[in-house]
Amino acid sequence: MGDSTLYTCPWCKRSSDASSTSCPSCGAPVDVRKAVTKSGWTEQPPIKDMAKIQFGQSFCQIEGTLVPVADFKLAAGDGVYFAHHLMLWKDDQAQISAMKLKGGWNRVLAGMPLVMTQAMGPGRIAFSKDHPGELVAIPLDRGQSIDVREHVFMIATHSISYDWFTSGIWYRTREENNRETHYPVGMFMDRFTAGEKAGLLLLHGTGNVYVRELQAGEHILIQPSSLLFKDPTVRMNLHFEYPASVWTRPGTWIVTSRSWGNRYLWLRLAALPWPRLCAAAAGGGLTAALAAAFAAYGIWQEWWLGTLGLALFAVIVMARAAAPSAADQSPGARSPGDQSPGATRPPRRGWRASGR
Amino acid sequence: MNALQRIVCTWCGAQSPQEAATCIACGAPLDIKNAVSDSGWRAAPRLRDMTELRFGNSTCQLEGEIVPVAEITLGGNDAVFFEHHVMLWKDQHVAMGVLPLQGGMKRALAGMPFIISTASGQGRIAFSRDAAGELVVLPLHPGMELDVREHAFLLSSHSIEFSYTRIQGLRNILFGGQGMFMDRFVTRDAPGLLILHGYGNVFERRLAPGESILLEPGAFLYKAASVTMNVETQKLTTGLFGGVGMNLARMTGPGRLGIQSMYHHHNTE
Repeated sequence: MGDSTLYTCPWCKRSSDASSTSCPSCGAPVDVRKAVTKSGWTEQPPIKDMAKIQFGQSFCQIEGTLVPVADFKLAAGDGVYFAHHLMLWKDDQAQISAMKLKGGWNRVLAGMPLVMTQAMGPGRIAFSKDHPGELVAIPLDRGQSIDVREHVFMIATHSISYDWFTSGIWYRTREENNRETHYPVGMFMDRFTAGEKAGLLLLHGTGNVYVRELQAGEHILIQPSSLLFKDPTVRMNLHFEYPASVWTRPGTWIVTSRSWGNRYLWLRLAALPWPRLCAAAAGGGLTAALAAAFAAYGIWQEWWLGTLGLALFAVIVMARAAAPSAADQSPGARSPGDQSPGATRPPRRGWRASGR
Repeated sequence: MNALQRIVCTWCGAQSPQEAATCIACGAPLDIKNAVSDSGWRAAPRLRDMTELRFGNSTCQLEGEIVPVAEITLGGNDAVFFEHHVMLWKDQHVAMGVLPLQGGMKRALAGMPFIISTASGQGRIAFSRDAAGELVVLPLHPGMELDVREHAFLLSSHSIEFSYTRIQGLRNILFGGQGMFMDRFVTRDAPGLLILHGYGNVFERRLAPGESILLEPGAFLYKAASVTMNVETQKLTTGLFGGVGMNLARMTGPGRLGIQSMYHHHNTE
């Protein structure tokens, strides 16, 4: 294969020189076929031992396969930030310092790292997590964002901004007078956004990592703790299922019951149904309504009021559809029994919520 | 056989027959390139499933890859010693005993194993630890001294002297992540075999005289006795909330240094 041949990585969609054995943007091996399950999940190929990823003038080398190490060679002016307990080793040249984060008190309450540490080049610094699993390298283009489950993030380059938001995924259980609020995907989620420059984000998946592209309107139920990352356009909410249990009572009675103890708790992920057609229809409706309103002004008062009402309705529909995510809503903004559209009913008094 | 027809293992320096696929002394694959990072860390040899190696009159077979097992076939008058909880199974012919240790009270106070078990006689005995990781096979030549993180050694052949060394300096004891003591393995006249278990992946680096590197203390696995360790604290402040102190172990050469990637993280607050 000639050096001039370009290879497009099926994972990060970036082009590179086809002569290398791994993608320089995300580290995915180039000689591995895409493994897709019949159900549509694509297995993220593990980054090969000693594979190199380039960002800016700096490099990251992935070492090991069981508990991989991300070994950074930072060029002058390049920097990364990370949770301080992830650092494995560093040389004397790499300078580390604390990075200020907003919402310190909330972070303390939520058990999130209070201090984010940053390292500036030139120098070498390496990171690893304390669980077996895979490293996931996600190159972010300018302006691109990604939502990440808390404690999954490992390292991000300086060009990526870090923010966090309330996940909005919670439910309450009650035993006698004790109420407990549960957050199946954590109280908060991290959001990473590439600013003016593209950047690199490294996550750690415990175990193997699978990725799926949800089409507009498609949804899927997953075990909440298995979520690793998602696009901000993917909505999430809780879904409870209560399979009926059947048994016979002495006296030939057949009893069926749906109990909290037999529940299944799912996280429903759905791509935001805001396709171009909906946008065009809503926009067209709004334009037509406003045109009719102006034309009818001063002629027929009833028509004018009616078209203004129609315009207001179109604006509300557009605003609701364009809402960023259900995950952006604060838990406090919801009533306790209204965990999610899929929620069936709150646990009955006296039932203990036990984990699956 | 001509010496030129033998392959020298780059991990342990032992010579193996040319047709061997793995080193007879440490089990390292001989037919693949060493994995060395640009920063100079060498990955410990990824031991193949069912690799066999020899020490004295005994053999050791390494089984499994996620939580590997070391299965020893003891021959002649050979014996091995180990912490009793790492034993997986044994033949009934294998005789168990206790290794006489000095400083029992200190060991008990420091949380180190008070009793080190021995297995001798002809028969089979197998060992494994309770976490995913790698076995690091270290054939020790006469005159070598190796310091090992406490509870990290899986087994050692009886020709190796086992003692402990006290970590110097209060700061090193409190924040070094090793406790008060480290295991020390010394070979006098005869060579011996030492097998360690590292959590996650294991990497080794040879530090030049005066060369140093800053390490998360929990990542330390083993070092030559000539490598010194000193804990340094880096303060990371965040204004109102004060911040945290980050303790790092400065390891200074000369000598070899081994680290594990799934480290024990000790509270750095």
